[in-house]
Amino acid sequence: MIGVELRKLVRRPRTWVVIGLLNALPTLVAVLLAVTDLAPRPGTGPAFLSAVLSNGVLFPAAALAIVLPLFLPVSVAIVAGDAVAGEAQAGTLRYLIARPAGRTRLLVAKLVAVLVFVALAVVVVTVTAYFVGTALFGTGSLDGGAVGAVSGVPLSPRQAVWRTVLAMAYVAFSMLGVAAVALFLSTVTDSPLAAAMGALAVLVASSLLLTLEAAGALQPYLPTRYWLAFVDLFRQPILWRDLVRGIGLQAVYVAVLLAATWANFTTKDITS
Amino acid sequence: MVATGVAVLVALPYAVGALPARDSAVSAGALLDAVRSSADVPHSGYAESVGGLALPLTEDFTALTDLLGARTRLRVWWRGDTDWRVDTVRATGESGLYRDADGLWSWDFERRSAVRTTEPTVRLPRAADVEPAALARRLLSEARPRDAERLPARRVAGRDAPGIRVRPAAGGSTIDRVDAWIDPGSGLGLRVEVHGTGGTRPVLESAYLSLDLGTPPPASTRFVPADPATVRGEINTDLAAAINVFSPARPPATLAGLPARGEGVGSVGSVGSYGTGFTLLIALPLPGRLSRQLRGQLADSPGATRAAAGVRLAVGPLSLLLTDPVDRRSWLLTGTVTAATLDRAAAELAR
Repeated sequence: MIGVELRKLVRRPRTWVVIGLLNALPTLVAVLLAVTDLAPRPGTGPAFLSAVLSNGVLFPAAALAIVLPLFLPVSVAIVAGDAVAGEAQAGTLRYLIARPAGRTRLLVAKLVAVLVFVALAVVVVTVTAYFVGTALFGTGSLDGGAVGAVSGVPLSPRQAVWRTVLAMAYVAFSMLGVAAVALFLSTVTDSPLAAAMGALAVLVASSLLLTLEAAGALQPYLPTRYWLAFVDLFRQPILWRDLVRGIGLQAVYVAVLLAATWANFTTKDITS
Repeated sequence: MVATGVAVLVALPYAVGALPARDSAVSAGALLDAVRSSADVPHSGYAESVGGLALPLTEDFTALTDLLGARTRLRVWWRGDTDWRVDTVRATGESGLYRDADGLWSWDFERRSAVRTTEPTVRLPRAADVEPAALARRLLSEARPRDAERLPARRVAGRDAPGIRVRPAAGGSTIDRVDAWIDPGSGLGLRVEVHGTGGTRPVLESAYLSLDLGTPPPASTRFVPADPATVRGEINTDLAAAINVFSPARPPATLAGLPARGEGVGSVGSVGSYGTGFTLLIALPLPGRLSRQLRGQLADSPGATRAAAGVRLAVGPLSLLLTDPVDRRSWLLTGTVTAATLDRAAAELAR
């Protein structure tokens, strides 16, 4: 059943349209930077963008920072929100669960497909950004291909690659919280749009509360609180504090929401 | 069951935070002595400072307005008074100060600049000044035991820290009190809160969230520029340091009845620093261009008033007065003093 869901994911044009659109924004930003030679002023714009003009190797990290606040969670919410509710809306859900496989296996297959989409989206964005960044901005002028890190001291090419891989893994893991919210809502409603919009409403609320000093007591528990902590991977030495908290927080969201998803899906009446 | 588990997870940090700290019998005087001798205590950690003052200053003072009006996240490696590194961590990048025996490296990721300077005698406040231990030393170093009282201990950065409260000894200060929680073994300030008169919340608070009392490795405080093209050397670290060196103005040896801080005031340098303890007054001569921009900004700020000598404004406990220009030069008077003291200082400078 997992194979069926993965084939469905890969063959669906929507998957590649979404990933294409995800890549379009960072690519457009890179072209604009290269043409105008105008980096954002310090303290403004996405992380790393002010540094990519002198070294395109940092553009993958900048691309992740560009898509992370909105475009990536929107695409994850669309795919995860459609996972179960899409079948219900199309009237195929009752046939799927009628097979001997059962509801739990169907849910696991849907979950794996969503995970693969998240990983695929992050990898494609990062790899595309690497080629776009190095083509437009070069690989810098430091000895031995070293990369100037956030802390000013150089990172070796090996360190830079490893930290980018860790950043990809962290961003992908951060998206699992969004996927879990959307998947849960997908088992609550028969409308994929409602499930995706519900997940996005949670993220917008979280992002809004993060800007309010009065919500300080809530902020450590908000799902988007530690998303941008992947920037800390490029400091020297790595600042693990928020990264560890971010992983722990997402793990709790994922565990709780997947448990609720399973409990809801395995006990609800399927009529469509 | 799931809801119960989540409730336990959410409540756990608050429950741990609510556990009573183990207090000690150390006196306020002993804590002050420990703080004074803590400059060379090695440590490293992560701290956050929150300023509550919205200063209406021009771009020349951006670092100062950020420091006193926003949240600053700090990473600290401290091997000694002249061997440390303090990074200001931001979501979009980082800036770092690396101090060694010969001077200071200032690194800014977003500006791609590494600046080498000597340590000036006069400068604007910088991120390393709000590091909790440095801030505690700066604020408590001149306090006398009779001005201090003990506060109950608090858990700060996982340590039991006895508290101390110091009120200004002399009148005329707009600072009501400074509360600090000190690591009794090392004398390091772990948490500092500065309260203005009449306010309910601290105007500046800085605290360690994690702290290690081991000696950081030498490499942690050494700056090796990644890109030599980004390096430049400068004599002065900021605007105040440059004015102190280049302006021909000379501030008086005493101002508004306050004694000068340091031996050079009145003879060497153009920036005057006066007062004791928390009662501080700075006199900064500004050339025409800078003072024109600042005058416009201050005059447009809510709460700005017209005084006999210039534009006056109070932002929390911080008072500012920009005098009207004389010979194309104005004095910016600022400090934790009352409006009457500022007026008196302006009148003395106009003579």
